[in-house]
This record gives sequence, structure tokens and C-alpha cells, in this order.
Amino acid sequence: MSFLNIENVNKHYFDVEVLKSINIEINKGDFLVLVGPSGCGKSTLLNMIAGLDEISGGDISIDGQSMAGVHPSKRDIAMVFQSYALYPNMSVAKNISFGLEMRKVPKVERDKAVQKVAKMLQMEQLLDRKPSQLSGGQRQRVAMGRALVREPRVFLFDEPLSNLDAKLRVDMRTEIKQLHQRLGATIVYVTHDQIEAMTLATKIAVMNAGIVQQFGSPEEIYDNPVNTFVAGFMGSPSMNLIQAKVCKVEDKLCFEVATADQDRPLLLPIERDQQALVSYLNRNVTLGLRPETITDPGSANRSEGQIHEADLMVKVTEPTGADMFVVTQLGGTEVVARMRSRCGALAGQSCRFAFDVSRNLAFDGDTGDRIQ
Amino acid sequence: MQQNIARDKASTVSESRNDKLIGYLQQHLPKLVLAPSFAVILMFVYGFILWTVYLSFSASKMLPNYTWVGLEQWSRLWNTLTWQISLQNLFIFSVLYIGLCIVIGLSLAILLDQKIRLEGGLRTLYLYPMALSFIVTGTAWKWFLNPGLGLERTMHEWGFVDFKFDWLINSDMAIYTVVIAGVWQASGFIMAMFLAGLRGIDNEILKAAQIDGAPAWKIYTRIIIPQLGPVFLSAFVVLLHLAIKSFDLVIALTGGGPGNATSLPATFMYSYSFTRNQIGVGASSAVFMLMIIASIMVPYIYSEIKGGKK
Repeated sequence: MSFLNIENVNKHYFDVEVLKSINIEINKGDFLVLVGPSGCGKSTLLNMIAGLDEISGGDISIDGQSMAGVHPSKRDIAMVFQSYALYPNMSVAKNISFGLEMRKVPKVERDKAVQKVAKMLQMEQLLDRKPSQLSGGQRQRVAMGRALVREPRVFLFDEPLSNLDAKLRVDMRTEIKQLHQRLGATIVYVTHDQIEAMTLATKIAVMNAGIVQQFGSPEEIYDNPVNTFVAGFMGSPSMNLIQAKVCKVEDKLCFEVATADQDRPLLLPIERDQQALVSYLNRNVTLGLRPETITDPGSANRSEGQIHEADLMVKVTEPTGADMFVVTQLGGTEVVARMRSRCGALAGQSCRFAFDVSRNLAFDGDTGDRIQ
Repeated sequence: MQQNIARDKASTVSESRNDKLIGYLQQHLPKLVLAPSFAVILMFVYGFILWTVYLSFSASKMLPNYTWVGLEQWSRLWNTLTWQISLQNLFIFSVLYIGLCIVIGLSLAILLDQKIRLEGGLRTLYLYPMALSFIVTGTAWKWFLNPGLGLERTMHEWGFVDFKFDWLINSDMAIYTVVIAGVWQASGFIMAMFLAGLRGIDNEILKAAQIDGAPAWKIYTRIIIPQLGPVFLSAFVVLLHLAIKSFDLVIALTGGGPGNATSLPATFMYSYSFTRNQIGVGASSAVFMLMIIASIMVPYIYSEIKGGKK
């Protein structure tokens, strides 16, 4: 029996459909991340779980109990907002205990709960301050404290880290993950940052245009994206999606990819999903190559993958310190390869690329759906 | 050839002279444009304030008379019964006017903030009284409250023969009719101020309060209204100076009467300075009004400037 069940949920404002038959089920203790570009409906879905937005069709149930018509305060949920939404006129301690006070918890218990949460989040010395006297990271902690103190059945996070600077964001991300592991809480988390989604989630729902494109574990989403949207959205740098043609060379199925040199196309042998791709012979498909599957020959993983090498012209190199991203032209678009930082690639010169063809993905050229 | 060069040189010289003039103008134009109005304000506002202060210590009667008499005019002012009534009226009027405007304005703003239909139209409707001049408001209310013309007569005609509403001609109650007319005029404006304040509150805070389980009225009393502090202060300052300056409303509505039951410091100042030939007393009453307003406005402006610097 799933703990949080979103069944066939629709949402439309007048004639505009915002969400179309959403189906998501998670278990107790799961960390569900709703990820997608802005305007995809992920925050609307979160608000509907919270009861702040009405559902146009379908049902949401928590712990087997339908939430239709249940007021937000009666759903036993807590929410952390993007702007933190602290009450500016109250001290930190009051902010944290306000929800308990509204639920008529006696003052002694309230104070005890506030102390406990403050200790957990290491902010005991902040309790008497007003929100305006806190830094962004501290406000974030107070907002989390306000959610934690109620010990709800489900935590809802609405892009909680997007107002923090880069370093603090990474720290808070780790902290949220630790909190989840320690409390075993059920969490629904909205973000547009696919790295947050990958690092935090036990289940990811990738959304676009009001539809759940794919729902699954982070590994499933990363290794087996169902369409070009999911493939392109998850991963950084994002997956290279290039035009290719399926052809047969010496009885072996290959992807034929145009290179900068028109007379010498690149031929990559097909090792994966061969049966499905037979019917695409001589047709155009979209080929998906993760940057980390294209390397320099020296750092190619020959024990696990099947390596195919080729010489290609380098357009740009982007050293990041740990790696070097090498850009070349394939199938009419720029393709990013992830190489060792001292692989010797130079812009404007030829360089040897190693393709791990066992991890290549193919998508239908027209619909963008995965061929498998 | 040489001629050409000479001509070029001449033109560059005149051009550079032009550039200098334009540069000078660009630098000083704002000051040049502002200078006349600055001089006029210096003379006719601040100059005349100082002149009035001097007059309050002089022996002026019908015409200004610069003989220094010290605090004589001030002691005459404080011994005048009408002045005492005026101050008492000012106190009653400003407390009720400010209090009622804020209560009514805030209530209307909260009701309008409930995402109702026709909000734009209603907002304008409530704001319209502010567009009228005080003279029009006063005259309209004078007709409406006049027992022989307005409400009382209408009620009599409808058959409520015992209905009595004669505050306008009752010297104990007349000041409250000024309050009614003043509140009617200003509360829509105060509502607009509060509505702007309400709209400025982060929507997510309200959502958070809902999830925390606060009922609607508690969201207002515990979370929203405490955040409206600056709006309360602005409303208070705006209303207070309107109250102290109130002149035309009283003149149109009651003319200060019956007797001098609705006389206010402003009407007192006018009648002593210009109709009773007591410029010295009038000037000292004007200076006293300035002192009341300054005692409120100076700390306010000071805190605004200090707040702005932060």
C-alpha cells in the first residue's frame, strides 16, 4: 500500500489545462522530487498536495485517506517555501511554535519542542531574533525548523534552496539529505535543478507541460530516459542529442553520423537495443550520447564498455580543473565530450575520441520516444 | 588652402566655445531652473512663518504693528474661552477622526481583499469622496443633516414622525457632525493605503499560516496587521495634519457654530486675524498650530530619512 497516492489528478484554470492525469505513488520514507522547467506544473501539484490549490479531477490520498475537501491544516503536512515565508513580526521561537500554538499545544510542550528542533538544526542562539536579523541560510533553517517541529506525515519543499548562494546550497542539500535519512520522513520536493533531484531523491518525477514524462528511481531516469526531453533535462552537461541514420555496414548495424568532413561520416556500431533498431534501418533517429561516454582513449573504460575510437576536429575546449569538456561537431550540432584535464586536446586541431558504444541511446526521430 | 585652414581653425575655436557653454549649462541647468521657485518658497513660506512668529510677540491689532510686547498676545490667547473650546474640539475631532478613519479604512480594505468581484469598481467608489473638495463635502452634509431639509425631514415624510436627528444645530453634538463628514471623506483614501499594504504581504506567508492551522481572523490579527505598522504610521500622519488644518469643512458645514461650538484652531485663527482685528492673537494661535504639527512631523521625517539611509 502506497503512502502518498496521486491518482489521475487534473488541474485546469478555466480552459487552460495545467496538469494532465498525473499518477504518482510513493511509499512511506520515500523522497520524491518533482523536477521540470519552470511552468511545467510542479509547484501547482505540490500546492494541490498541500491543499492550497483545488483539484479539478482525480484524487490525492495520504496513508490511504482521501484528501478531497480536507483543509491544509488538517492534512498533517508541513511545507517549506521558496521565500521561506517566515512571519516577520515574530521571533524565531514564535515562528517555529506558531503552528503548535494554533493546534492548542500547551506552552510547556511547545517550548520543549522548539528547544529540540533548535538543537537539531544548531540554531539555539537564534531563537530570540527576528527574521530580518537573520542571513538567508539561517532563515532557511528556521523555515525547516517550523516544518520539523510539527512532526507531520509528509514534508513538502517548494524550491527551498533556490534563494541561497551556490556554496550554501550544496551544504543545505547535504543537510536535507541527512535529515531525511535520520528521520525517515516522507518528503515531496519541488525543484528545477536536476542536480538537486539526482542527489536527494529516492524517486524522481520528471515533468514537462503538465505531464509526468517519467517516474522512477534516479538511476532509471539517468540511464534509461524514456524520451529526448528526460534525456536532455537530466544530467550536467546535458546529453548530446544528435541526428544519425541507422545503416548496415558489413552485416553490422551502425549509426551513421555526419562529421565536419562530409566525405567521412562517423560510424558507431550499435550494441544496444539492436532488435528494436532493425526496423529503423535507413531511417533517421536521434542518437543520445552522455558526455561521459565520450572520452580520450587513455581514460576509456575498456573493461565494462565497448570502445570505438575516431579522430575528430576539436572546436572548443573548456577546462574545469577536474575534467576538460571538449566540443566537436557531429551530426550538425556541437557535441560535448568529457576528457581527462591533461588529455592534450587543442582547439582547431584533430584529436582522438573514444566512444563507449554500449551506452548509446536511440530515440525516434519524429516523436522523440526511446527506441528499445 | 591656407584660407581653408584658417577657417577650420576659427570654426573649431567657436565650436569649443559653444561646447564650453553647453557644458556649463548642462552642469548648472537644474540649479538655474530651480532657483526662482526656491527663492519664492524661501520668501513666502519660511519668510512668512518667521514674520508670523514675530507678529505673535507684537502689539498688532488690525494692521501689523511691530512694537514688541513679549508674551502679552500669548496670554490673551490662552485666556480666550473660544480658544479653549477650539482646542477641546480639536482633541475630540482628531481622536475620533483618526480613529474612525483607520478602523473603517482597515475594515473596508480587509473586506475588499477577499478576492471579490468588481473590486476595481468598489475601490474607485470608496475613493471618490477624496476627490471632492472639503467645501463640497461640507455643503452636501449640511443639507443632508439639516433637520428641515435632509435626513430628519425624509424620515418624517416616510412616516417616522418621532425621528429626531438635530446634531447639526445642537451645540453639544455639532462637533460630531464634522467628524461624520470628515470620516466619510477620508476613510476611502485610508482604505486604499491599507489595501496597498495588504497587497504587499508575501502570499507564501499566508499559505504558511493556513498550513499552520491559523483561522482567517487569526491570520489577520497575528500575522497581517502587525506587519502593517508603517501603513498605520503613514495613515496617522496624513490624518493628523488634515485634522489640524481642518478649516473649510467646518466653515462649509457649521460655520464654526452654533455659537462657537464647532470652532477649531484654524477657524479661530482666521476669525481673530481677519475679522476681529486681533492679528497678534491670531498669529500666536497659528504659531501654536505649527508647533503641534511640527512636534509630530519632525520625528516622523527624521525617522524616514534615517530609515532611508539604512
